[in-house]
Amino acid sequence: MQHGAEERLGDGLIARWVSGAHLHFADDEARKSYQARAQLIVDTIRLRDTGKIPVIPAATQKFAFDYVPVTFREAMTEFDKAFAAYVRQYEDTEFDAYVGPEFIFPAGMFEALAWNRVRLPGVHLPDDKSFQFVEAEYMKAGEYDEYLDDPSDWILRKYLPRLSPKLEPLAQLPPLRNMVAFFQGLPDLVLAAAENPGVVDAMKALQASGAAVQEWYDYLGRIDQELGGRLALPHLLGPMAHAPFDIISNYYRGWRGTIVDMYTRPEKMKALMERLLPWQLQYGIDGAKSLGHPIVTVYLYKGADGLMSEAQFEEFYWPTLKKLLLGLVEEGLLVWVFTQGKYDSRLHHFKEIPAGTCLIHLESGTDAFLAKEVLAGSQCIEGNVSSALLATASVDEVEAYCVRLAEVCGKGGGFMMDFSAFLDEARRENVRKMIEVAKRYGRSS
Amino acid sequence: MPQGLTEAIVNLRMDEAVTLAQRMLAGGTEPLAIIAESSEAMQVIGRRFAAGEAFIPELIMGGEIMKSISQAVMPEGDEPDTEGAKGTVVIGTVQGDIHDIGKDIVVLMLRIGGYTVHDLGTDVPVEDFVVAIKQHDAGIVALSGLLTLAFDAMKSTVDGIAAAGLRDRVKIMIGGAPVDENVRAYTGADGWGGDVGRAIKLADEWTDGGA
Repeated sequence: MQHGAEERLGDGLIARWVSGAHLHFADDEARKSYQARAQLIVDTIRLRDTGKIPVIPAATQKFAFDYVPVTFREAMTEFDKAFAAYVRQYEDTEFDAYVGPEFIFPAGMFEALAWNRVRLPGVHLPDDKSFQFVEAEYMKAGEYDEYLDDPSDWILRKYLPRLSPKLEPLAQLPPLRNMVAFFQGLPDLVLAAAENPGVVDAMKALQASGAAVQEWYDYLGRIDQELGGRLALPHLLGPMAHAPFDIISNYYRGWRGTIVDMYTRPEKMKALMERLLPWQLQYGIDGAKSLGHPIVTVYLYKGADGLMSEAQFEEFYWPTLKKLLLGLVEEGLLVWVFTQGKYDSRLHHFKEIPAGTCLIHLESGTDAFLAKEVLAGSQCIEGNVSSALLATASVDEVEAYCVRLAEVCGKGGGFMMDFSAFLDEARRENVRKMIEVAKRYGRSS
Repeated sequence: MPQGLTEAIVNLRMDEAVTLAQRMLAGGTEPLAIIAESSEAMQVIGRRFAAGEAFIPELIMGGEIMKSISQAVMPEGDEPDTEGAKGTVVIGTVQGDIHDIGKDIVVLMLRIGGYTVHDLGTDVPVEDFVVAIKQHDAGIVALSGLLTLAFDAMKSTVDGIAAAGLRDRVKIMIGGAPVDENVRAYTGADGWGGDVGRAIKLADEWTDGGA
């Protein structure tokens, strides 16, 4: 895709996102404040030295819930309560952007389908515990060719039935590729559906799940209006895309299966990753268009130090991730690369992406000072304030660490203050101190 | 240079390793002797891991090869004797947390490192730890958790072990990505590890390397 002088998708989206044209602002002051914050976020990712350190939230869960309080169960079922929790949390803290309950999925979406990839509070876990995903082998080792040959068929008739007992009847449908015309395919298809009440029930389960999702989307929209339009906070988490390796290991083969495949069928794995790549790229681009959001988030799971050798990272993980990042950047989009785990030895790879296009999240396991050294002038970094520190340390200890981050990593721009991971247990005074240090640095420089 | 079965396992050639094991069995080698040789190969991988020369995929792949060999050579239903001499460990992911990858690797590391390990699984209630410590006369307890929400469950587990009068009998380690010295102090555990390699080092320190 060559763009030449014509405006790229991302350029228009950035201008629109910074303007806040998608929001109804409470007043002019809210509009100006929103625009200043959104511009600061963009400028910081672009490595312009603004003299300020934006402070952003990776995401908050129990930390937000405790403002009402609501349990994890309630947050997934009673959206008005959770709405109040997020509003109070952001009223009480001076972040420069917000991440809302985008990962506090509606329980009804999973329950209507008896989705077995998730353990839910109030069903499998106590109400006050976070829902958790189950990583298992949903794709068998011998199914690579079947997937590569006809991915949608595998997803419809193998994957979905394995993820949900309610969708098991879909396995009995004929392959859709057989549906050629009324005299080939149609009778088989309609008979398979009509003679199997399970297929009708599966559609009803999808409908019920969809109703829960619709209610949840409405709630996310109300949050965006309230936090964006009234509290003047740009929404940081927009469209998403996945590293192809992570799709295989998290969702299809499981970590164990993936590792066995790396040793026993590496070429099949690589072929599947190459197949997934253009779809993920398009998914991110389409998401950016439909949400009107210029920052695509890519959460990284299995590429961390220790989870594989550098040679394995370079052979299996990085090639398709790099192409994904380059593809998004070529469209003028920005990418929030959310590394999870220790990334010290991988950081240098992000220099292979055009400078000032990525926002690299660092968990506490990564050495932020090393990251600054490696990525200064290449990519913006953020995060690293440990959850454990925020949950268990004193205000003074939090201040000391954040001051060091601000002074070293904030030097010359390209840094945002943020915690290490999704925030659950944390002392409010510690979080306030983290924010205050970032603001103080901005004022003093 | 390791030879034959050991060499195939150490270099993670699964099909070859299983075929060799089957041939040894057909040639009259005792199943337990084959398992013993496989375990020694795993120890080589474990040592490489401890030295930073091997990574989690090598460990997991080695474990998968061990599993396949065991299935191929052991009579059905007969478990190989994996009693370790260094000490007995009770391990589990604490209540409310279902993450198991880190824990499973620690289990593997401790077993190939010479410990008897009783794995209680994930989302383990406090009382199950207490029962297991008594039942197996364990000297070490390992609590795993990936969520920061696990901190409180770790603390409750340590407290529960103390309330059962067992605190002086066991050393307790906590492990998982978000764990650090602050969390160790908060939970009242004796040691902590943020990566899987630390567990075996702690256990060896506490047992004088099993000596």
